[in-house]
Amino acid sequence: MKIRVMVNGGAYERDVEAHRTLLRFLREDLGLTGTKEGCGAGECGACTVFLNGKTVNSCMVLAVEADGAEVETIEGEAEDGRLSAIQAAFDRHHAIQCGYCTGGMVMSVRELLRKNPKPSIAQIKEGIEGNFCRCTGYQQIIEAVLDVSGQLTPANKGELKYA
Amino acid sequence: MLQRFEYAAPTDRAELLRLLAESAEYRAQAEYGARTEHGAMAKLLAGGTDLLVNIRAGVAKPSLVIDVKKVAGYAGISWSESEGLIIRPAVTINEILRDAAVSSRFPLLAECARDLASYQIRNRATVIGNVVNASPCSDMAPALLCLGARALVASSRGRREIPFSGFFTGVKKTALGSDEILEAIVVPASSAGARGAYRKLKRIAGHDLGIVGVALSRKDGLVKIGISSSAPTPILVEGLEEGDSVDKVAAAAREAISPISDVRCSKEYREFMVETFVKRLMREVA
Repeated sequence: MKIRVMVNGGAYERDVEAHRTLLRFLREDLGLTGTKEGCGAGECGACTVFLNGKTVNSCMVLAVEADGAEVETIEGEAEDGRLSAIQAAFDRHHAIQCGYCTGGMVMSVRELLRKNPKPSIAQIKEGIEGNFCRCTGYQQIIEAVLDVSGQLTPANKGELKYA
Repeated sequence: MLQRFEYAAPTDRAELLRLLAESAEYRAQAEYGARTEHGAMAKLLAGGTDLLVNIRAGVAKPSLVIDVKKVAGYAGISWSESEGLIIRPAVTINEILRDAAVSSRFPLLAECARDLASYQIRNRATVIGNVVNASPCSDMAPALLCLGARALVASSRGRREIPFSGFFTGVKKTALGSDEILEAIVVPASSAGARGAYRKLKRIAGHDLGIVGVALSRKDGLVKIGISSSAPTPILVEGLEEGDSVDKVAAAAREAISPISDVRCSKEYREFMVETFVKRLMREVA
């Protein structure tokens, strides 16, 4: 089936088979490998992308369902080779270790901050509940989100340890 | 990698019903042992958060996937005093959470929706998909049972209504025929303003399947309880009144459930937690 999709602002037209997931389409047909497959079942969130402005698990969307849609992936996050504010905060706080969850994590953080520019720690945890990190640890990720939202102070830094 | 299937996204309701009828006919013939050259085993696709996982796992093996989201008239939630709240097939869990009529008139629906899976899944998963999947741990079923909701069902043979109290027939089984689609959930206006809350036991605060779930609602002197993960189907406990003691209500819930022991917890723990949640909700939902 022929589909037309806007991905990170560029228009693509491709023939895809009905059983191809949006995730495989992005990675294998468009070469956008920043979006990862973790579990393939909606548990881990490594495949999170924006579909028409809403975060979704791209392993559970068919490419044909994205016909006519706008998709944004981690590759669209940096502009002209400069890290976005969220990416820079992840970098400063070492919120990236192996990096496998990071693409999806950054998508969920972007969505969280769009809805709520000053999230509390509880709200940050809820915002990333669909994204598993198995090596960095959530402490650094939460600190990066507090920082990018202008809420990290010497007083609350480190207090998150057991939050 | 998903197994191969064909994909159809009808915009016309009659076309959808025709595809379903054909698939039901093909299924019946295949079960009878007849060899047919043409035909397809269809599965309906809405959010895909259960179906695509099941296809990937080899549990579902459709040869045709029918996307219902583009059918005219299948989007949106509406509210009126005369018809109640109507939830159509493309309505996602997050749409329920953003809907003003739901939050002001049916807060119990929003409470159950808030506890379902993760934010990304709630952006995609639909209310109707959650109930037709008929998992014993459905999060939307307890609220719909408490609120006296009905399923409006259609096929090429016509329409019929099924109250949710008779909709779930077994683990992942419903009263829907293989040529039928649940076209709308109706929550009656008479349930608007019901006070209620939902408690779901999970291993972690975030995204997790329920170990047990209990919804309790109070309206017009009646107390209703909807319970998930504690029987082969989500269940409704009725016949309770305002003024019944906490112990009597908890005992009625305990009597109604038939939990099993599984990887998530023991039968005894489920029994204990259902009673505990009922007792807490009786105090909290004033």
